[in-house]
Amino acid sequence: MKISFILNGQPQTVDVDGNVPLLWVIRDMLDLKGTKFGCGKAACGACTIHVNDEAVRSCSYAAKYAEGQKITTIEGLGSESDPHPVQQAWMEEIVPQCGYCQPGFIMATAALLNKNPNPSDEEIDQNIVNVCRCATYYRMRKAIHRAAEIQNNA
Amino acid sequence: MSKKISRRKFLVRGSLGTLGVLAVGTYLFRNPLRRTLIETIDATLPSYSGTGTEATLWFELTKENKVIFHSPKVEMGQGSFTSFAQMIAEELDVSLDQIVIQAAATETGIVDGLSTGGSLSIATFWKPLRELAATMREMLKMLAAQKLGVAANSLSTKDGIISGGGKTLTYAAVAEGVTEWPELDEVPEPRSSGFKHIGKPVQRVDLGPKVFGEPIFGMDAEIPGMLHAAIIRPSAIGAKLKSVDTETASKMPGVVQVVKMEEWVGIVAQSYPQALAAKMKMKVEWDIPKVWTNEDLQEILQVGKGDRLASQKEGDALDPASEDVMTMEFRSPIGAHAQLEPNAAVADYKDGKVTVILSTQVIGITQKMVADAMDLELENVNIVPTYLGGGFGRRLNTSHAIQACELSKAVGKPVKYVFTRKEEFQNDQFRPPTHHIMHGRLGEDGYLDSLEHHYASGDVSFNSVLLPNFLNNALGTDVGAIRGANIMYHKIPNYHTVQWHLTLPFATSWWRSLGLLANTFAVESFVDEMALKAKKDPVDFRLKRLDDSPNAKRIRKVIETAVEKSGYVDEVVDGRAMGLAASIDTGTPAAHVAEVSIKDGNIIVHKVTCAVDCGLAVNPDQVRAQCEGAIIMGMSGALYEKMELKDGALTPTIYGPYKMALMRHAPKEIDIHLVQGVDIPMPVGEPPMGPIGAAIGNAVRRLTGKRLTELPINLEKLEA
Amino acid sequence: MKIRITYLTLLVLLVTGLSVASYPEEDFRLPEKQVPSTEEDSPDDESLIAFNKMMDVLTHQRCLNCHPSDNIPKQGEDSHPHRFDITRANASGAATNCNTCHQASNNDFSGVPGAPDWALAPHSMRWEGLSRVEIATSMMNRANNGNRSAEDIMHHLTEHELVLWAWEPGMDVAGNPRELPPVSKEDYIAAVKKWIELGAIIPQE
Repeated sequence: MKISFILNGQPQTVDVDGNVPLLWVIRDMLDLKGTKFGCGKAACGACTIHVNDEAVRSCSYAAKYAEGQKITTIEGLGSESDPHPVQQAWMEEIVPQCGYCQPGFIMATAALLNKNPNPSDEEIDQNIVNVCRCATYYRMRKAIHRAAEIQNNA
Repeated sequence: MSKKISRRKFLVRGSLGTLGVLAVGTYLFRNPLRRTLIETIDATLPSYSGTGTEATLWFELTKENKVIFHSPKVEMGQGSFTSFAQMIAEELDVSLDQIVIQAAATETGIVDGLSTGGSLSIATFWKPLRELAATMREMLKMLAAQKLGVAANSLSTKDGIISGGGKTLTYAAVAEGVTEWPELDEVPEPRSSGFKHIGKPVQRVDLGPKVFGEPIFGMDAEIPGMLHAAIIRPSAIGAKLKSVDTETASKMPGVVQVVKMEEWVGIVAQSYPQALAAKMKMKVEWDIPKVWTNEDLQEILQVGKGDRLASQKEGDALDPASEDVMTMEFRSPIGAHAQLEPNAAVADYKDGKVTVILSTQVIGITQKMVADAMDLELENVNIVPTYLGGGFGRRLNTSHAIQACELSKAVGKPVKYVFTRKEEFQNDQFRPPTHHIMHGRLGEDGYLDSLEHHYASGDVSFNSVLLPNFLNNALGTDVGAIRGANIMYHKIPNYHTVQWHLTLPFATSWWRSLGLLANTFAVESFVDEMALKAKKDPVDFRLKRLDDSPNAKRIRKVIETAVEKSGYVDEVVDGRAMGLAASIDTGTPAAHVAEVSIKDGNIIVHKVTCAVDCGLAVNPDQVRAQCEGAIIMGMSGALYEKMELKDGALTPTIYGPYKMALMRHAPKEIDIHLVQGVDIPMPVGEPPMGPIGAAIGNAVRRLTGKRLTELPINLEKLEA
Repeated sequence: MKIRITYLTLLVLLVTGLSVASYPEEDFRLPEKQVPSTEEDSPDDESLIAFNKMMDVLTHQRCLNCHPSDNIPKQGEDSHPHRFDITRANASGAATNCNTCHQASNNDFSGVPGAPDWALAPHSMRWEGLSRVEIATSMMNRANNGNRSAEDIMHHLTEHELVLWAWEPGMDVAGNPRELPPVSKEDYIAAVKKWIELGAIIPQE
């Protein structure tokens, strides 16, 4: 089926089986590799994207649901020349190690800050439930608070 | 010692023990994975038009005066690329942003013959890489001297520019048109002090790509025209393919070919979801010779069974039956690597040659494995490593490269084979489960008089591709399982360590820090218990039995530092207790104090104070990052993780049921203290993992009055 | 028309009534046990049979898992706590909520179940650990059920896609089909309708 949506601000149309997870459409058809495949079971969060600014795990999101939606991936969140506050904070705190899970965490954090500009530690714990094997959680928490600061001062 | 450098091939004989070519050539690393990077480089840095066919390549100079370093080691998060850049910048006199680090492919550069692992990348490259960079600097100066008509020793170098006699030349300009490099009589001595880059907490070189989602991982690799594959492998241990009905699957949309091999079945399709969908429809029967259970494992895994390999034998052995001997047993479970990037490989088999792009810690070994399996000459197999989405030892066996090659050969097109998460969990090479029996006796002074550690473990280095068994036998022990097992308190009059090597029905291997986490848990929990029995201060109880050897002094220092910085007290204050533990691993001592409380039956780790002596920290910030990561990953292993046998298969097969530390479990405070006891870099990726399980257990002992003896530790086990 | 709108609003409230994060214990009141109005009629037996059939379904983990009593949604045939320590607070979570993973239909690739309006039942509708009679009593109590009439309840139980998802629960994470409720959808719907029609008589314990 033909599915049309806005991807990182640009209209996109793909012709694909509507049940295919959007993750693979993004990665393999649209060639944006920043959205990661980690488990395919919505358990790790590496594939987190935004659908209308809400965090969604794209490995468990059928492509057909993207019709007419606003989709944002890590590539659309910010760039080196114009980083999103969360990306800025991630660089300031030098969070990534292997880096594979980081786009998912960054997308989840950006979604969190959209709705909750000043999350408490408890709210961070409740909402950021992705998995990082390098266990960069300690710096991530600092980066999330820092991102809130950057965003609120903007 | 002076090292001769041959002119003809521009060879540099460094202490790496390998031959390197200083080449100025085309940027020839053109695998599609790197296309973004290459496009950037092509757009901004039109390269020299050399032949670029050198078989071995260390550095390249581009026209834009950038230096490309082809690293024999891969970057898997440990930050070594950043430290390499610092080391190169220091000696080559270029700025950090003039350096591009690239994992070498077998075709383009020198790859590590063994592996990236053992926390050794920076420690082993410390000298040779700086020598190599210094050599290149001196060669450039000699060339510049010729071009400028001044004496080489009157020239100075900075930011990739050579100046002297009022003239300047960029390195690129110096190298332009050079076909033969000058000869150096000696490898220049790298600087030993006054560092500009070394020892500074510079940003990671891969920070941008990792924060902005660039396609840098094996999983992101593509070769034009490639197809996608899923593979059916057995779930049950030892299962053999009996029959497979490919009828339905072959007719599924997008399926190009179902490839039936002796031990597995591959489905090649236009897209990965199509391959997965077809896999779901495949009907497979397995022959399962034995349905393994947890009980079977418990039966096998016991001290006293298997091969006995003593590694420490000092003084008299204890008689465990004696009344004054205290004995405790400890256990640790099977651990999964659970790295976030599932294994994947893109292979292009064409005309008797094959290229494989993948995340691997063993580039040379994978090349050999593929060559053997595909019956190809080594030079016809090009292994292209990428950034790794986590290593932790999982990618010391990347034999799935063979399957990707087989599939590519079968369909005559490039094929990308991606593990499912279930495959990843069930085909892991696990951290082996362990069983420990500790014996101890107090002397008349109330300090340890005897300490014995008897432990049983499955393979780590035994049966590994990295180390032939004869070497293990020669070393007298499984050198992986032993990590952290030996007793470091050498002033104890009698101490013994004995390994019982066992064969398990599933593959076990390297897992970040190998035996260290479990061994230290057993030894340091027991030492703590003995201190309680002796009614001694746990700090003094340990320090009293450290001798005056250089390493023992370093251990003493980290213990004292952790104790001092944490304000360690051996009592419960406001519902919180502190637990102390220490270890030394690959020459790096670490001591942790964990501050712990119990809430709603859960162990909460509030703060970890860590003192570690990893010598000279090339990048102190990344050393800290390694400590933080090792502490939380170690906590995860110590408090939550466990694989089990169910219906003959290893389980669970997904995050969640395989419980791991999440954001909410991470300590809110981690206080790292770097104690520099030696002036060279020592390993740091793994050593700080050692003490964490015991430190937490020792705190819980004070909160509950009970000793947890089985990883993962949780309070349910106290009630049981 | 107005009635219909109210009904829809209520329905939405019933399945997504999550705006209140926590409910003080005293808010939850079980009403006095209802006594059947007629005591000797045969409809009683018929009602009891229908009641039990309905309750065979409502007490199945397919239903109970999302009607928890402790603010923790459950998963699977063994009703284990939702993985990753998901709680009621996540139902309205800013970055991780039900719809981060659960969509309008099951996903066979991920094994994540889905249906329209996927959500956790409000705390007032907690069923876990309650007896059949207690569940029914609470379910029919307007104070707990989102002010629904018996007819509203009948519509919810027999028409709402989230409820009927129980018969199309899809594949689990391992790719195995999820267990169905012990009564067929048709028999269940018939039983609910019969029970309501006969006066929604809740038997005595």
